[in-house]
Amino acid sequence: MQVTKAVITAAAPNQNTLPLQRLVDREGYDKTALQFIVEETLSAGIEEICVVIQPGDAQAYQRAAGEHLGSLRFVEQPEPLGYADAVFRAKGFIQGEPFLHLVGDHLYLSTCDVPCAKQLVQVAEEFECSVSAVQATRESKLPYFGIIAGTHVPRYDRLYEINRVIEKPTPTLAEQELVTPGLRSGHYLGFFGMHVLMPEVMDAVQQLLSDATKAKPTLSDAAALMPSRQRYLAYQLQGNRYNIGVKYGLLIAQLAIGLSGRDRDQILTEMLDLVANRPTEAAITMIEGTLAR
Amino acid sequence: MNRLIDVITSCDSTVRDQSLDAICRNATLDQLLAYTNELDQFRRQEPNLYYRVRALFFLEAIYRYHVPRQLTATASGLIPYHGYEHLLHRRFIEAIDTFLDVQNSVGPCDGIASALAGAYHQLAFQTLADQVRRSVRMVRGNQWMFRIGHPADHPLRLRSELLVMDSSTGAAPILREQTAVRMDFSHSAWSDIFFLGMDYPEGARVINASVDLAVRGRDGEPKPPIETFVRVIDRPIIRLTSVDLNATTDIEAIGDVFDFARDYLGLLKAAVIASGIVPPGLEGCSQKIGDLLDQVVGPGMGLEIVSKINDIPKGSRLAVSTNLLGSLISVLMRATSQISTLNGALEERDRRLVAARAILGEWLGGSGGGWQDSGGIWPGIKLITGAAATDGDPEFGISRGRLMPTHHVLGENEASAATRQSLQDSLVLVHGGMAQNVGPILEMVTEHYLLRNETQWNGRTKAMKILDDLMAGIKHGDLRAIGKLTTQNFEGPLQTIIPWATNRFTDRLIELCREQYADQFWGFWMLGGMAGGGMGFIFDPAIKPEAQDWLGKKMIEIKRDMQTALPFAMDPVVYDFKINDRGTFAELLTGDQAFMPDRYYALLLPGLLRTATRDLPLQTRLELESLSAKCKSGSEGKSTAALLLDSVLPHAVRTEASHQSLQDQLSMAGFDREQHEQIRADLRSGRIGLSQNRISSSTTIGDVRSDDVTDLRVGIQQKFIDLGVQSIRDGEVAVVTLAAGVGSRWTQGAGVCKALHPFHRFAGRHRSFIEVHLAKNRFTTQKYGGVIPHVFTTSYLTDEPIREAIQKSNHFGFDGPLHVSTGKSVGLRMVPTIRDLRFMWEETAQQMLDAQQQKVRDSLRAALMNWARSAGEASDYTDNSPSQCMHPVGHWYEVPNMLRNGLLARLLSEQSSLRYLLLHNIDTLGATVDPGILGHHIAGGASLSFEVIGRRLEDRGGGLALVDGRPRLVEGLAMPNDATEFGLTYYNSMTTWIEIDALLRTFGLTRDDLSNATKVDVAVRRLAMRLPTYVTLKDVKKRWGHAQEDVFPVAQFEKLWSDMTALPEVSSSFFVTHTRRGQQLKSQAQLDPWLRDGSAEEINAMCLFS
Repeated sequence: MQVTKAVITAAAPNQNTLPLQRLVDREGYDKTALQFIVEETLSAGIEEICVVIQPGDAQAYQRAAGEHLGSLRFVEQPEPLGYADAVFRAKGFIQGEPFLHLVGDHLYLSTCDVPCAKQLVQVAEEFECSVSAVQATRESKLPYFGIIAGTHVPRYDRLYEINRVIEKPTPTLAEQELVTPGLRSGHYLGFFGMHVLMPEVMDAVQQLLSDATKAKPTLSDAAALMPSRQRYLAYQLQGNRYNIGVKYGLLIAQLAIGLSGRDRDQILTEMLDLVANRPTEAAITMIEGTLAR
Repeated sequence: MNRLIDVITSCDSTVRDQSLDAICRNATLDQLLAYTNELDQFRRQEPNLYYRVRALFFLEAIYRYHVPRQLTATASGLIPYHGYEHLLHRRFIEAIDTFLDVQNSVGPCDGIASALAGAYHQLAFQTLADQVRRSVRMVRGNQWMFRIGHPADHPLRLRSELLVMDSSTGAAPILREQTAVRMDFSHSAWSDIFFLGMDYPEGARVINASVDLAVRGRDGEPKPPIETFVRVIDRPIIRLTSVDLNATTDIEAIGDVFDFARDYLGLLKAAVIASGIVPPGLEGCSQKIGDLLDQVVGPGMGLEIVSKINDIPKGSRLAVSTNLLGSLISVLMRATSQISTLNGALEERDRRLVAARAILGEWLGGSGGGWQDSGGIWPGIKLITGAAATDGDPEFGISRGRLMPTHHVLGENEASAATRQSLQDSLVLVHGGMAQNVGPILEMVTEHYLLRNETQWNGRTKAMKILDDLMAGIKHGDLRAIGKLTTQNFEGPLQTIIPWATNRFTDRLIELCREQYADQFWGFWMLGGMAGGGMGFIFDPAIKPEAQDWLGKKMIEIKRDMQTALPFAMDPVVYDFKINDRGTFAELLTGDQAFMPDRYYALLLPGLLRTATRDLPLQTRLELESLSAKCKSGSEGKSTAALLLDSVLPHAVRTEASHQSLQDQLSMAGFDREQHEQIRADLRSGRIGLSQNRISSSTTIGDVRSDDVTDLRVGIQQKFIDLGVQSIRDGEVAVVTLAAGVGSRWTQGAGVCKALHPFHRFAGRHRSFIEVHLAKNRFTTQKYGGVIPHVFTTSYLTDEPIREAIQKSNHFGFDGPLHVSTGKSVGLRMVPTIRDLRFMWEETAQQMLDAQQQKVRDSLRAALMNWARSAGEASDYTDNSPSQCMHPVGHWYEVPNMLRNGLLARLLSEQSSLRYLLLHNIDTLGATVDPGILGHHIAGGASLSFEVIGRRLEDRGGGLALVDGRPRLVEGLAMPNDATEFGLTYYNSMTTWIEIDALLRTFGLTRDDLSNATKVDVAVRRLAMRLPTYVTLKDVKKRWGHAQEDVFPVAQFEKLWSDMTALPEVSSSFFVTHTRRGQQLKSQAQLDPWLRDGSAEEINAMCLFS
């Protein structure tokens, strides 16, 4: 099996401008978030990429794609009917082939020599099944992620057979249903925003979309149906993800990229200078306390 | 191997279920000590918790019941104070080591055996409580709450449906949960105690029904009595309101949620914590609640939580509080998506989750219930059973059973609709009015269970069989058979296991039902820990409505009759009930339906009206507008309007009347206002107070020498016995039983007459202390001849009830002279000073509680100090019923009262041969006119001979001491420090032999002077001035609402009889007697050991009942 296609979703309401944000990469060059994501995808050997966008966003995205425009195809999601619906819009694009899926509001930074997407695609190709990237997530972050429960695949590091998937579980439910052995207590395997999915996932999505009781189903809802239908693995990548859609998300993502690149010292110096010249109230209290003693 | 260890560890139930008594009954002292040594080693090394606990209970029982029987009568020794200190601070293991060291060095003695028994007992319960606590924390779904340490980490989010404000009214949606209460069908023989279920899951079975209730004559149709509400508010606070308790509070700091006893909202706070809104891991966090709500609800927003239990009285034995907790937890877990369904009933897994959290909530609030108590969350009738722990359970390898039981809801084939209907048509459910603490009973049950005493174990086995039969009865819908079985259960196994499960009130009601309805009365149904509160009576459906009315009237009649003897918290009521087939159920109220209960508005409206409309938060303003519109529409609106109007308009103040009657009663009881003001001034200035009660530390206090006492335990020579017998025969002795007190410890300040409390069954029925004392008197005169007049001294509180009881019972069949000596002195209680409260709670040695209970107690104490401060230190305590505001002024006055009220003169004129009085406390059941001891008193020639006993751990409150070289009795209050008492071998039993003429001489009187009231008054006052006045703090209960009770510490003063020994002109001698003769029953928790150590039997042998 070879994975040559990728789907990036960027149609969520209020989040459609996130991939258009500009950041500086490890080498010091100016890039859009979309370029970062597309480069991550291409590094995994992907040849064709489909970006699901809101109606009317195509031009802005084309501009933001830069030199990679040739690899991209844009598909619109006419109405904001949820994450699963957005993925389903790419059904015609994937044409029954497995595909890599990334979300448009996350940036990824590998902590080893192999980019995150490539790590994931390698596992999927080896096991010939759907694989979702996961990372150990503290329970305080449960309201933000889909969480899986799984059993460790013998002889493979960081690889799990998925038994259950629940979107944004409460800690109560997570503790009862989603504990994965081998993690620190209070930690769960949360989706990383990156998946390699077999084409059958579209059937699961379609089933959900035709169910009138489910309002705006998510990809996790579809993922939850998969363990009973086919082999479905989770892989703990060596890397970090940065959600640029949350408060200070873009800033933190930029810092993480900058600190792993050639301008690390310059960024650190600037940060120290900021701290030294704009002391916080807590720091002042601490200094006063020390002087008083 | 030690046979007892074999019993503990054996897998064979015939070995494991053997009773300790059977093995130890005939063991010698050496054998017993060998058992205890091995058991102690075993419990130190054994990793299995339940083996360890059983070993601890075995050790306790051997030291409490078996070792003392084998000791020589004079084997007494001192309990080391530092061991006692370990006990107070809950360092049980260290305490045991200390006591064992003493036992090893000086040999076994009664005092050390009692100390070891006490320490093993406490360690056993602590070990069990720790395990339940660990299990509660280990339940999956609860663990995360203990890890959250900062509001920023909070992982819960409120459901979006609750955040959608109504576009037309602006009202926030309200999530309402309606929950039934649970009724225990079979009485489970208390097998729902966690410890039992976890050790013996196969024996833990309960049939439990969810019921809707209505108080007959007050409410309409039965409905789920519990309603809880939650909604979003536009302020970053958590507002808690209980409409039944008329209490509301705004919580602004996270720490305040953990302050349980600050107000009446502790249960709501426990629910907020147990539901995970403020997880227990946040205790001690100094952040504002707004920071937390910012995460969970949204910036600037808060939560309002309201509870309502439709005024179901406390003590209903229907687990109202646990189900309220469950309802609150359920509604809050729904609101935070921890339960998947927002509306409707719960699924089984959610119900189990709520039940597990309710257990956690009860532990947090320092209370405890059984595992069946949250049964109201489930629908219909269910069989709840203990479950064996299996691999994967947190309890596996620790206990045999799981913490959480299994619930099986009975289907149509097991309990048909017809059966349910006939149950409703036959059962009369009532609240008898008694609200008692069942804690001691649950401890007794646990202990009995682990010791497997034959009779109790047989009882448990029978109860299990009855449950099987009941299941069959339910299946066949045979209510008559069910009634027979529940009655059998109550009269058989339940009372075999715990004789105090019943009382005279309940027995009388059953008797009357049988007399009135004969065959149409099908049976009695006990609910909960003990009878007297919630109970059931099963009648032929044909007469049920009539029986309901009749029973309602009868219960009130009998309550009136017995209310001075038994602690009633309210008038009895009859319920209408219906089986609830849907379990706890929620609805989201939106738009013009989104109202809180009417009484919520009645509670808050007066406060809101004091705020200018423009200053009210927008949400409140809009809500008041909607409420105003509601009041104008329909009949429901009218009743709301009437309730609201009532809440803001003034009412006639009834307290005026009770104040008036307090003043009347005070003056009638001989209240001395001048003396009262002097005491107040002294108290305020610090001249008297708890710390001033103590003898100066420069005084030398030591233990008495052997020649300071006469030890009568080794035997009494025949010549003294003959002397005593002759004296009895000649009519020289009278008995004076002190019955003026209200037994604060006996009923925790309920203010009933302890003397009349029918505390135990003797000769076929419950007998009061008075009856027992008279029966002993009858026995003595029948044996030796002569006439022994019997006097009961009374006070304002006990005089009328005792006189009435004596008259109604025709002197309890006592044909000798029987007198009541009316108290002539009374005091008015005062609000305590902060200084005294601090001294009592912070300076004196006292028992620490288990960690969570201690937190609750500390919080309560802080609240009580605030109360004392705001009520005014040393001001008159008048905010209670008159009888609870007045106090008897100490037992010293009870003897002079006999001089002042002319009773002694009358006794002497009626029986001029009288020369001696035997004075004793109402609760000293072993005190008899023993001819040998009397003979010693006569031969010794002392004015007063006091009986003392060897000290046991529980004997606190003074003793016989050598004070500056002179033997005298020193009250516990007067000890210079807590350790001194532990250096005294003998404890004062208060039983005193008095030579009448010598006593009169002490007062400066003769027999002839007794007719001169003025002279007597002067003499009494003069002697009184020479005796110290002690300030004491007593707990009094204030009853309010529907059987709610608050306990307040109040200050009062006392003069005590034992201080007579300090007067140099009074010749006193001291007799050491057997412990059982001087043993006093101070609290109801002592009843079980008193029965088991053979004391009850011994008392019975001294009595001749009519």
